[in-house]
Amino acid sequence: MERRLTDQTESSDAMQAPASRSVYIAPSLPAALDALDEGGAAAAPFAGGTWIMRAPIRHEPLKSLYVAIGKIPELRAIKVDADAVEVGAAVTHAALAATLAELAEFDVLTAAASRSANPAIRTMATIGGNLATTAFAAADCVPALLCLDADVEIASRGGPERTSLERFLTMRSTLAPGRLLHRIIVPRRGRRTVHARLPLRQAGDYPTAIVSLAVSLDEAGHVRTARVAVGSVEPVARRWQRLEHALVGHPLNAAKATDAAAELAGEFTGRDSPDVPAWYRVRVLPALVRRAVAALGSGAVGDEHGH
Amino acid sequence: MNMGIDLTVNGDHLTSTSDPVTPLVDVLREEFHLTGAKPVCREGFCGACMVLIDGDPTPSCLVPAALANGCDIRTVEGLAANGGLNPIQAALEACDAVQCGMCFPGMVVSLTHLVSTRPDATREDIRAALTGNICRCTGYERIIEAALLALATA
Amino acid sequence: MSDASATMNFARRDAADKLRGRTRYTIDRYLPGMLHAAILRAGVPSGRIARLDLTKAARMPGVRAIVTAADAPGMIGIGIADHPLFARDVIRYDGEPIAAIAADTPMQAQAALAAIDVEIERLPVVLTMAEALAPGAPLVHPDWRNYEVLLEGGARGGNVAWEATVVRGDVDAAFARPDVEIIESCFRVGRQNHVAFEPRAVVASYEDGRFHIETSTQVPWTIRNATARLLGVPASRVRVTVPPVGGGFGLKFDLAIEPFAALLARASGRPVRLVNSREEEMLTCLFRENADIRIRSAVTRDGEIIGREAVVLMDCGAYGGEQIFLTTMTAHTLGGNYSLGAVRLVSRAIYTNTAPNGAFRACNGVYNTFALERHTDEIATRIGMDPLAFRRRNVLGDGDLGATGQVFEGDVLGPMLDRMDTMRNAAAAPPARADGRLYGRATTVGTWFVFVGPSAATVNMNADGTATLVTSGVEIGSGSMMQALPQIVAGTLGLSPDDVIVRSADTDAAGYDVGVGGGRTTVSLGAASLSAAQEVRTKLLKVASEMIEAAPEDLVMRSGRIEIAGAPGSGRLISEVATRAQAQMGPISGTGAFTGAGVSAMPGCVAGHFIDAIDIPVFAVHDCEVAVDTETGQVEVLSYRVVQDVGRALNPRAIRGQIQGGVVQGLGYALHEEVTIGSNGRVCQNGLETYRLPLALDVVPVEINLYEGAPSIGPLGTKGAGEVPILNVAAAVGCAIANATGKAVQELPLTPPRVLELLLDQRPTLCLPHIAETWTENLVRPHGAGGSN
Repeated sequence: MERRLTDQTESSDAMQAPASRSVYIAPSLPAALDALDEGGAAAAPFAGGTWIMRAPIRHEPLKSLYVAIGKIPELRAIKVDADAVEVGAAVTHAALAATLAELAEFDVLTAAASRSANPAIRTMATIGGNLATTAFAAADCVPALLCLDADVEIASRGGPERTSLERFLTMRSTLAPGRLLHRIIVPRRGRRTVHARLPLRQAGDYPTAIVSLAVSLDEAGHVRTARVAVGSVEPVARRWQRLEHALVGHPLNAAKATDAAAELAGEFTGRDSPDVPAWYRVRVLPALVRRAVAALGSGAVGDEHGH
Repeated sequence: MNMGIDLTVNGDHLTSTSDPVTPLVDVLREEFHLTGAKPVCREGFCGACMVLIDGDPTPSCLVPAALANGCDIRTVEGLAANGGLNPIQAALEACDAVQCGMCFPGMVVSLTHLVSTRPDATREDIRAALTGNICRCTGYERIIEAALLALATA
Repeated sequence: MSDASATMNFARRDAADKLRGRTRYTIDRYLPGMLHAAILRAGVPSGRIARLDLTKAARMPGVRAIVTAADAPGMIGIGIADHPLFARDVIRYDGEPIAAIAADTPMQAQAALAAIDVEIERLPVVLTMAEALAPGAPLVHPDWRNYEVLLEGGARGGNVAWEATVVRGDVDAAFARPDVEIIESCFRVGRQNHVAFEPRAVVASYEDGRFHIETSTQVPWTIRNATARLLGVPASRVRVTVPPVGGGFGLKFDLAIEPFAALLARASGRPVRLVNSREEEMLTCLFRENADIRIRSAVTRDGEIIGREAVVLMDCGAYGGEQIFLTTMTAHTLGGNYSLGAVRLVSRAIYTNTAPNGAFRACNGVYNTFALERHTDEIATRIGMDPLAFRRRNVLGDGDLGATGQVFEGDVLGPMLDRMDTMRNAAAAPPARADGRLYGRATTVGTWFVFVGPSAATVNMNADGTATLVTSGVEIGSGSMMQALPQIVAGTLGLSPDDVIVRSADTDAAGYDVGVGGGRTTVSLGAASLSAAQEVRTKLLKVASEMIEAAPEDLVMRSGRIEIAGAPGSGRLISEVATRAQAQMGPISGTGAFTGAGVSAMPGCVAGHFIDAIDIPVFAVHDCEVAVDTETGQVEVLSYRVVQDVGRALNPRAIRGQIQGGVVQGLGYALHEEVTIGSNGRVCQNGLETYRLPLALDVVPVEINLYEGAPSIGPLGTKGAGEVPILNVAAAVGCAIANATGKAVQELPLTPPRVLELLLDQRPTLCLPHIAETWTENLVRPHGAGGSN
């Protein structure tokens, strides 16, 4: 005999947390850090809210203190320099896409930021939230920034700490209270970049698989450097280094890249979900690679064929 | 420590005593009895709870009341002067677009914004702009038609 | 008897308020002192409640009432009363209600739910129909024999909740003929969630010893009667009123959460609001049922269908509900479209430990039409005949017999196929296609019906020249109550439809009605309204004839006047006549009533059926063109065309709106919307992230042709038009994908992963071992052995 409380399926209200819940709207980064430090495990930063406010459907309790960081000017700033772009963690997808629209080398990031979710969500959801939400495997900006060799800067009372995005992804779920993703630093290397994503509908979905690609070519048109990042296929986005190696030294050729991807795709273990079987996420990777590489030739990539 | 949340809703200065993480849609509906915005999915997919916050279409299910403090909020009830219809509302009525009506508060908010900010929007632009507004009844066609009509007569 | 045309593109009167957010749906209602309710639902699919301790919950802040199975002694159902309001000792599905609480705030109600202590002993579980039909399977209802039978004639046994059969002619002989090809096809379809934007919601109060239930429903009288039955009170103690309904699609064609609120209102003495969360709706919505189908035909080389047999298994979930009735429909959907020699069909509703299924727009029809049309294409391929030519040869025409032996009247489908040809041929040639995708097209036919049944209407003629129409009809969004009905009354009385007030449903004010669904509103309520308006007209003309000094038969009613025919401007205003009548003999009113004509079937053909034949057939021809991406399995619908049999189009614009919307809902069913059930018995898609509805970018404008003039007993020749647009969408899409890919499309929905599996030949051929090879072995009782109803 099992003795248990029945699982609750009722969740019409986000009101399941203690009555002493509060939201602190931090006016500055130090103020936010102080509040997070003092709040400890009971506190969490709140940026766009598009993930946290959906806690009820995940049957997750809300925290008792949220430190709202969306109004902190330096977290909302995008700084475009000659050698790098710095993006504050609370910059929204829409703002990022608008700012980078004219910078061709960031096409991958512009596409990621301007096609994720839906228009209203893009005006709310932040780049920092996209990177920091461990449970969100389908984040568009993660593979886009991985292929751009982005670093992140984590702020805390003890001072800033800069690390690669790749490393941040391994430590984000265990980030100590009081440490906050401050900004993302993306080097400018003049590469050609592209973001290929596969939603199940025409748009408005989280993509089932993402291939982000950044390459530089030599004078002969051969790939000098390549960065390929794969998102949504596994629980955490990652680089596809074997495919990168396969691309380097050759001219950009969609058919050959597709073949290489098909040969190498076995290294991915797809994640299962109620709507998409694991095998599918892996199976479509070569097609996304083909689209990405082909688009670098033509300068554009669509979400699907022929449009 | 909760001193109340000050909001300007359709031009009225209102104060909410809600828990600060309460979704704005519940404040509007349960506290202020502005039931136009509909909490349909509570996840930001359907758009039925869309309101304008400082001019931007925003799903009010995802906005905690505390973060709306000091904001200018316009709900579907407050889009037209003197109880009339604004251009998109009039176009939707003229096109016989409405069926059950539950999605329309959000549709109207999204399209009001589109009509006022993108006068040259094409059919494709309109379809793309509506990816966060789901309609279960109409199959969208009349809504798109109405948006084009409103743009043409604006 | 009408002088003014009822046909017009009359606008909806509810549009402006809906567009301004002023309309108060049930979820928007707020009464002084209102409490908020929540339901404790089971978290296991099968178990026994060993202990249910409410003491701690009852002491929680704000709690005003808690009710459980002890408060609801009755059982309800269709055909058989198998469904209690709360799980009584036994839990049969994940999500089954155990207790309900009313508290001052929603948060308090939730907190109190969490304080209920439940002890559940797990019991064996059957989650699929294959498991349910396996030898020795655990029974979902071990006591099935003891349930009250509400309709005699259905065969039942174990996990077979209901079985309906059709046998006409000698099928064995047909299949044994040497000159026939035998074609067999198997199909499996998943569930579909209505996702009505307004969830099921109710506000109940208890006043003067009666329940007042304000609810979001399509069936006020069902709510009245079923609530009374569950609560063990006379039905006259329940009043149901219906605010504007935010979408139904069949979801609200059955009782839902109304009795919980009613019980809590009585227990607390306060009004109680109960609104399902989206997650509750996703998990327990009375889905369109999943089904397994095997169909087999004996066809001559020149395309005559000599014999056909089929087995349809419909998952009813833990309780019989609508599926019991829907077993009837297979005869008219899977058994429809084509003229058949001999035929035998069995349709079985199967109990499983899953959330109960229910009604959904063109219930049973959408998947049976998918199966029938895919099977039809497989037949055409086998005998080497063009699929359109095969359809033309066999579609039901004047004098043809339906599956149950009813005689069809008029050639309708044939001319509709011609119309489709014309539409298709008029279309611009498609652009060049060199993008590597696979292209395909299909034209499919479908047979549906108008679910007639009883309706009542009263028309009160007001002295100011307006009329008030009182019915139990509900405006669910389809517009029938806003457009067709006032148009019918106005046309009869020579008024503007704006001058016809339409009373919203109130079981205390209007007579019995089956409900809004099955495409019956315009037909049944329309016929009752027409008859009531005609009575008013007769009375008015009598009074007018005295006033104008002309014989009633020389008078016409138009433009708000009663005049001598051919003499515009003569006569009197209707308001003057109504005022005179009111003074002389009291206010004028008329009543009307309607029910189905009861078209007869062939004696002995059917067993376990709720209706023997279809009073008003409705036909549809759909044409769809798709492109299939071979790398991803994504399907793009390139064009969609509909020729729909509407009888007579009273409001063509409104019907076109229904068709566009219904087709898009069908595209969702065919391509995007998937429900799966986990090993824990719970529906996996709990929200709109994973349950994908068509978005604006996923749809195409539907090209529409309204086919008028087919025979109908509906008022003014109408047929229901809102139900049928979804009917053959999955069929058209499925056949088009099969044509594009050359693969055997056997399952729905055709999501990109499923299509890619087909393209890669990685999807195993569907086999249905729980359907016996020999048709008769699928029956719990031989056809006719228990007597037909």
